[in-house]
Amino acid sequence: MSETLRVADLLAEPELSGARVVAGAAGLERLVLDVAWYDAGDPAAVADSLLLCRPEAVAPAYRLDALVRRAHDSGVAGLLVVAETEVPLLATSRLADRLAVPLVWLPHGRPVHVLQELTVRVRAPELAEARVVNRVVRRVHGRHTAPEILGAVGDELAVPVSMLAADGRSLVGPELELPDEIRLDRAIPQREAGFLVHPVHDPDSPRVTAWLAARLDRPSHGRMNQVASALAVTEPHVRSWLTTQRAQSRHDALVERQTLAEIVAHRDGVSRGVVESAVSLGWQLQQWHVGVHAVPRTGLDDNDRERARARWASELAAQGVAVVACQDDGDRWLAWASAEVEPPTADARAVLQQVRRAAAAMPRDLGIAVGIGRPHRGPGGLVETLDEARNAALLALSHDYRPVVEHSDELGVARLLATWQESEVTRSFAETALAPLMDAPSQVLLATLRAYLECGGSVVETAAATGAHRNTITTRLQQIRERLGVDLNDPSQRLALQVACRSLRV
Amino acid sequence: MAERRIEREDVDAFAAGAALLGAGGGGDVRVGAHLLRHLLAERSLRLVPAADLPPDGIVVHTGAVGSPDVISERLLSPVDLARAAAAVAEQVMGPIRAAAAFEIGGLNALVGAIGAIELGLPFVDGDLMGRAFPKLTQNTLALHGVAPVPLAVASPAGDVVVVPLMGPRAVEPILAGITAGMGGAASVAGYPTTAGDLARLGVRGSVSACLELGRRFLAARSAALPVLVADLGARLHGVGRVEEIVPRHGGTPGTVTVIDSEDGAVVRVDHQEEFLATAVDGVPAACTPDVVAVLDNRSRRPLQVEEVRVGQAVVVCSLPPLHAWPDSARDLVGPTAFGLVGMEDR
Repeated sequence: MSETLRVADLLAEPELSGARVVAGAAGLERLVLDVAWYDAGDPAAVADSLLLCRPEAVAPAYRLDALVRRAHDSGVAGLLVVAETEVPLLATSRLADRLAVPLVWLPHGRPVHVLQELTVRVRAPELAEARVVNRVVRRVHGRHTAPEILGAVGDELAVPVSMLAADGRSLVGPELELPDEIRLDRAIPQREAGFLVHPVHDPDSPRVTAWLAARLDRPSHGRMNQVASALAVTEPHVRSWLTTQRAQSRHDALVERQTLAEIVAHRDGVSRGVVESAVSLGWQLQQWHVGVHAVPRTGLDDNDRERARARWASELAAQGVAVVACQDDGDRWLAWASAEVEPPTADARAVLQQVRRAAAAMPRDLGIAVGIGRPHRGPGGLVETLDEARNAALLALSHDYRPVVEHSDELGVARLLATWQESEVTRSFAETALAPLMDAPSQVLLATLRAYLECGGSVVETAAATGAHRNTITTRLQQIRERLGVDLNDPSQRLALQVACRSLRV
Repeated sequence: MAERRIEREDVDAFAAGAALLGAGGGGDVRVGAHLLRHLLAERSLRLVPAADLPPDGIVVHTGAVGSPDVISERLLSPVDLARAAAAVAEQVMGPIRAAAAFEIGGLNALVGAIGAIELGLPFVDGDLMGRAFPKLTQNTLALHGVAPVPLAVASPAGDVVVVPLMGPRAVEPILAGITAGMGGAASVAGYPTTAGDLARLGVRGSVSACLELGRRFLAARSAALPVLVADLGARLHGVGRVEEIVPRHGGTPGTVTVIDSEDGAVVRVDHQEEFLATAVDGVPAACTPDVVAVLDNRSRRPLQVEEVRVGQAVVVCSLPPLHAWPDSARDLVGPTAFGLVGMEDR
């Protein structure tokens, strides 16, 4: 037998979880060569054994007292009492302390089962290891998520098992302070000072995506082997879960993108099919929506961007933004939150604060710029708020600091316009761009242009606003186009001209 | 041979010896000692060995039954003892030649003497137990198949119950029922025996032995402990503080744990109504019918089981039994009779 087992080593066995050292702790390092029943037989035969006592053998309590003495005299390694209620006499505890006979109390458990398991553990450690593997395989069968799998394995091993990220942070299970000797840059199973780690390989590449890890308080050789084997057989299950997770999220992302594209295309006139698919995604299209449009810096690879997107979604959620979806749309992320009733105006400020905090929690090197839309209702509203969010994000991008968040509420628009209108650049642009209309006889044309732009490009409304006939307006607009040399159907040109008009008025 | 008598000045020694032989049970001797001292002020008591009596002369045993607590509150009346004895005499239809004690341990040693004084009979230098036992039938006569009948129980209220015949197993429950009916304690007379049988089957000379033990105890009480123990012919098992008391529960014996202040040894004393056995560091050291005694280390007074307190400084020792019990008596007075199983494991 290569392994030297001590009483304390056996205490770490799953069969003895819940066992309590009642007395004689000084003898816990005694060697255990075998496990035996207490049957009042030949004492010499049980020397260096852990002696298992049924409740009958130790009741009434004074019998255990005599047994401790006999155990000591015959060189027994320790006494394991499997009994529910009996508590040893103080005399017995004191005696066990005095004679350094470990007295271990197991309040629950079947003595025969415990004897069998411990005997195998002591006499045939490799068989015990095989049985652990067998049981672990059986336990993880039918469990699909990593927390379930690791929970079952940890339960079987009576040791918590964690899944660590490649950098050592815990993803599932308790955090572990890995010793320096364990090198997570080497993709091989490692064991050191009671710690065991086993790499989980990336389903698509030879990289290590995660580690399975466990820590043993009593790292006996046999027990370390057991846990190492258990981690090895658990790894494919965890890897399979990771693969499923990834495929699932890719599929979800695709469906989400398609559904949103449909909504953008049809707004409030979305088909029944789209509504159904939205419902299946958990989107309440008829509610009020607030769009959040985030743009990270360019040049991220797919994996990093996907990880950053997931982080962004979780940071938003952590700040209290009820994110319904957070899509990757090429180089930006579209997210929105939905609510049953119209959010009060005061909420805009709160949302802005939440998103700012979320953005601040993201890594700085992502250079994230975020825009927030106003609350709008229904599928069309969703498109609208996302539009507003995009515009706000574009504005945010124009700032030279990161992270940056802009809200497209009224206040923001007014401020934006005010900034623009007051700037010298805008004013000089206005004077240049509108120069052909600046002379006195052309004032009527300038007024018409201003009204046309303020009325959202509607000839009918402009006519109503100015008191002129539709045809007159059309003629005037033709003159304006010719004089300025602009295309009034181009939104950017319209915007530029509108800003210019307003800045002249200030 | 000179006639032996118990005088008033012998009462202290008699009580001390009876307390030691009581092994922590058998009732508080102080009540009996007061009464005996009072009676001996005017009368004296002749002590005779059973062998010195005519072999066919009838000897009746008297004593108290019931709860020691009741007895210490509701004093015994010698008259009740005499009435019970008279009822037995009526049954056996013959004169009683002498009175004797059921047990030499505890209160009943003194009650036996009180009964003899009240009856005006000589007191037999002997008893049936050689110590105290909780049951009336744990004695040398019972070992030879002798029943305690005819038996009479008398209460202070004047009630007398006579039981002409009982099977051995019925004795305890019947006696318990009668005693309960009489308020928890009563005077009892029984085991009418010829002096010849008593000389053959009883514990001989135990009153003298008790007096001698008491005298030695009183003489060496303030001496160093080893001296006291040697003078008593006792074995010392431990001197230390009581660390834990687990009371007896139903038929399961209770335990007193004493940690020896000198060498840290763990001294365990198992008990029911009496101290039954003691083990030092898990090794059995003494066991009933040995007389296990626990003394208060300051006053050196033998303690009753229920007087032991946690933290008390005590001496645990044992005296050899006054009677050489044969192996066949094991089930009657050995550890198994008290629910102490596995004491012979070793």
